[in-house]
Amino acid sequence: MLIRPSGEDLRIIGFYLGRIFYVVAAFTGLPLLWALGGREWAPASSFVLTIGAFALIAAAATARPPREKALDWSHGMVVVALTWLVVPAVGSLPLALSGHLANPLDAYFDAMSGLTTTGLSLVQDLDHLAPSLNFWRHLLHFLGGQGIIIAALSLFAGGAGLTLYYGEAREERILPSVTSTARFIWGVSLVHLIFGVAALGAIAHYVLGFSPIRSLFHGLMIFFAGFDTGGFAPQSTSVGYYHSAVFEAGAAVLMVAGAMSFGLHFALWRGPRRADTLRNLETRTIISTFSFCLIVVFIGLATLGLYDGVLGLTRKGLFHVLSAHTGTGFSTVPSSELAAWGGLSFVGIALAMALGGMASSTAGGVKSLRVGLTLKFLKDQIKEVLLPENAVVSQAYHQSGRKRLTPKVSQAVMLVSLLYVAMFLIGGAVGMAYGYPLQDALFESVSAGANVGLSVGITDPGMPALLEVTYLLEMWLGRLEFVAVFSLVGFLLSWMRGR
Amino acid sequence: MDEGALMKRLLVVASCAALLLGVALPAGAQEIVVTVEDLLDSPEEYSVSRVPEIVVHGELIGDFGQRPDGVVWAQLNGDAYAMAPLLAGGELAGPNLGIGVRIPADLWPELADLAEAGGYRLRGPLVRLTGAWRYHDPARGGESYLDVTGIEVYGEPALLEDRAGWLPFALGVFLLCAAAALALATRRREQEH
Repeated sequence: MLIRPSGEDLRIIGFYLGRIFYVVAAFTGLPLLWALGGREWAPASSFVLTIGAFALIAAAATARPPREKALDWSHGMVVVALTWLVVPAVGSLPLALSGHLANPLDAYFDAMSGLTTTGLSLVQDLDHLAPSLNFWRHLLHFLGGQGIIIAALSLFAGGAGLTLYYGEAREERILPSVTSTARFIWGVSLVHLIFGVAALGAIAHYVLGFSPIRSLFHGLMIFFAGFDTGGFAPQSTSVGYYHSAVFEAGAAVLMVAGAMSFGLHFALWRGPRRADTLRNLETRTIISTFSFCLIVVFIGLATLGLYDGVLGLTRKGLFHVLSAHTGTGFSTVPSSELAAWGGLSFVGIALAMALGGMASSTAGGVKSLRVGLTLKFLKDQIKEVLLPENAVVSQAYHQSGRKRLTPKVSQAVMLVSLLYVAMFLIGGAVGMAYGYPLQDALFESVSAGANVGLSVGITDPGMPALLEVTYLLEMWLGRLEFVAVFSLVGFLLSWMRGR
Repeated sequence: MDEGALMKRLLVVASCAALLLGVALPAGAQEIVVTVEDLLDSPEEYSVSRVPEIVVHGELIGDFGQRPDGVVWAQLNGDAYAMAPLLAGGELAGPNLGIGVRIPADLWPELADLAEAGGYRLRGPLVRLTGAWRYHDPARGGESYLDVTGIEVYGEPALLEDRAGWLPFALGVFLLCAAAALALATRRREQEH
């Protein structure tokens, strides 16, 4: 029997939602300052409206604070799922008012794509978009990549933080308390921000010859999109705009840093555990899958004969596999050219997108730890079949220490992996139903569901609304790794049918 | 054959040769005007190995990257926004269509006076570029770009006006005031409890 949530449950959910919206309202002040500084009056007024909307929702949600119950697991999951639905809805206001998007659904799509660090975009005439609006799009990457909840947890938390932290698809607590873990994550991000922007800005100024202010602008935007494995870019031709292998290398370093788990960042910062991280199942898996996808793409591109020289093939292949595997979605070729990457090169890129980065990173996809555990489980099963009946197969694996692959863990890992595959296939089927070829439909679906953002051209302002909604849901589900969304569905069902 | 007949025959041959040359020569020198969309849709067709020189029109957008090797990199957009920017009342016409262009700095000395190419509130210079379309250039790690050999500016950069949206601003201020009032009322009620 379903139990209808009480008024107290709603008050708890509203209270925590409200506190998160206050934090997001404060962050929206940054693009407002940018717009005022740049005398961009129209975007500035839209940011005032957005801050007002966030603040009013926050004030209304916290108007009836809870009296008795504490935030439990299901509340936390519902808070997270709703946060990731409502923030892009309100956050899409400046984009919708900019006149660069055809309708509110397109604006919502772009904001969701930004927040989930996907990078698919429906903005039209991006090259004339106001810098403050571009900053907002990229700041959404930063907020989403680092985690809105993490941002809120850094400022307030108490005992309620753990469920919110896990709800946002983060699996490891680096430090004893969730608040200190959240602060560590933001600390790592801010250090990367300073060094990343300085490095990219220096390349843009001294190598590419951009003016100092524009160098800083490009450095900041590409940092947000690269480190948060987002994939938006300030110009319509993505990273291809820069025509520079050095700049691409700088962006690649950030993509790799973004796809690394914050646990790995922590281990690398604390010297003594560095060697240990290389033994981790997750690290070994991501190195293996990346190498495999890279070889497949190289063979595919060589077979297609698209690039004459080895240098061109290597540069394009390496950058795109890295972009796909880290879930970033930067590209140095037009989408029409990417669509021509058929055969093995398509397989390699699509596989890299689906596999994704490390758990507890800003990347999307199935995640390397799950892939590693699934492969380990399959290997153990085969061993059990082949070895004598009384032989004992070791189920241990190394991941920040020796751990045991229990049937419960295996089931959970396999279930989430299968859900990803099902989501990719359903998205692909919807694309095919609208007449897109199988390869293109599958590519775009994987890109949306794994929060990558590479496109073969299906994501376009003229795309069918139902397909747009499908990709939107894929981005949301993929980012939250299903659990929080299922909790929200369960909560709504209990509310409607419970007693 | 008498001299007159020979001359007549020579004249016919010369006329035919001139006619053939007349047809052939302009064909070689004829301008091949393509759009940016053509280059994106069929990039290989206009590659320098097939067509030595093409002409492309459009708006220079983004940044003028003045590289140490004496060339300037920019982006050429060949979309509807070049002629009808959104801020000037133009309609939405899909995503931008752009290619990279490499311009030798000495080809356009006036470039040094231009701080930025087109962007927000600025319609970039409209240009007619002549050059070689280097598709997947092995010398530049597989990049595709127009190697410019001639440039003609037919539209100077134009400033566009950004008008403040008073309605969103007023609505935003109202929502902020309402939020502040609600938060204060909540706080007062909590203190009373």
